[in-house]
Amino acid sequence: MTKRMVLPTLSAAAIAYALWLALDSSPDVFQGDFVRIMYVHVPSSWLAFLAFGVTALGSALWLWRKTIVWDRIAEASAEIGVIFTALAILTGAIWGEPVWGTYWDWGDARMASTALMLFVYLGYLALRRATPDPVARAKRSSILGLIAVVQVPLVYFSVSFWRTLHQGMTVRPDGIQMDGSMVAALLGGLAAFTLLYLALMVERVRLARIEDANTLSDGVAAGTAITAPDLDGIS
Amino acid sequence: MSGRSGFWTQALAIAKRDLLIESRGGEVFGVVLPFAAVAVFVVPLATDALATRLDQLAYPVYWLVGLLFGLQVALRQTGTETMIQRRTLALLGIDPAARFAGRSLAAALLMTGVMVAIAPLIVLFYDPRAIPAIGPSLLAVVGFAIGLSMLSTLAGDVTVGLRTRSSLAPLIVAPISVPLLIGASQTFESLILDRSTMAPALLLTVTVLSLAVTGVLTAPALEDATT
Repeated sequence: MTKRMVLPTLSAAAIAYALWLALDSSPDVFQGDFVRIMYVHVPSSWLAFLAFGVTALGSALWLWRKTIVWDRIAEASAEIGVIFTALAILTGAIWGEPVWGTYWDWGDARMASTALMLFVYLGYLALRRATPDPVARAKRSSILGLIAVVQVPLVYFSVSFWRTLHQGMTVRPDGIQMDGSMVAALLGGLAAFTLLYLALMVERVRLARIEDANTLSDGVAAGTAITAPDLDGIS
Repeated sequence: MSGRSGFWTQALAIAKRDLLIESRGGEVFGVVLPFAAVAVFVVPLATDALATRLDQLAYPVYWLVGLLFGLQVALRQTGTETMIQRRTLALLGIDPAARFAGRSLAAALLMTGVMVAIAPLIVLFYDPRAIPAIGPSLLAVVGFAIGLSMLSTLAGDVTVGLRTRSSLAPLIVAPISVPLLIGASQTFESLILDRSTMAPALLLTVTVLSLAVTGVLTAPALEDATT
């Protein structure tokens, strides 16, 4: 196995193990088997927060050090964060219909703020797509990356600020109000998704490096195509 | 304007310049405001008068129009600086943070004007169930306008020179403006219901202050990115 395949293989194995933990855990007294969706939904949400936090950190470090790798990390993390946010919204809606009786409730603070967070980072990615120059793109998006991260605490604490449909925090500093097998499934899911995040990050940053190298080599190719005229033999 | 002049002198000079351009061009009060009035008027026409209680729509429509047309005010064509103007200001030694403050101040004044002007239309067409106390309501409107103008100035600067600026800047501003919208609209609601306005007013104030700090701190980097 090549070195490049270590993280993807580990994350695939971890996902398989997390899936087994999720299917083997006890059903919930009220939710029944639907609780198993939570072992995908909750880790997706946590990884989205982590991904957007890394985007902000990468943005701040780019502004400080002006090293392009930080911009690549910020971009990669934002893209992966958007995927995890979409997955959290989708699994939440699938779970919500049988348990709450609705796929979506605009009056719920957590749902609405999560959707808005998704739009903010879609805007971040749209800004990056609209700026062709890599340095200008890094400068502009790093500032937006820092501003956009304010959505993360807003989404996280929304269940405490507003008492709406979404339940409060289950994992709190004073303990976890869950059965042991459920905690194992939740932590297993979190570990598996974290490995998946790292594997995707490494690949996306590598891809960004290739894209940048391509952009630069395009410039060189165009430059060498225009050379001084050969005047040998012309009198 | 000397590079050694103070922060507020520079900020006020920039705000004065923006307001002067607006007084000559008349884009906000000649174009945006009438368009906002039409939007206020169109909602009752588009709803079933027998089935819809317009008084319940009054304040949601007010804040929606305030948000959408506030964006138009902040991102107006006549208020957009060209790259040459931005570079000239940078070469003159204008503090980028003062530039941000001045542009936000001008946009906030114009936005407050638009929101105050459409308030009587809301009362006239929608006949809301209650009207909140004028003084605190005006403070909420001013807070909302200051926050939205700072956010729009930031988004306008981040997207300056891009071909997709007109659609990209609102896409960035609209989701981030939610705390402002919640703070301001909940202040209105609390005033009407005679509840404490502490929580929404605090949310509005903290958001405005956060935007001010972010705008001032990121202004030099933003100037570097867009000149």
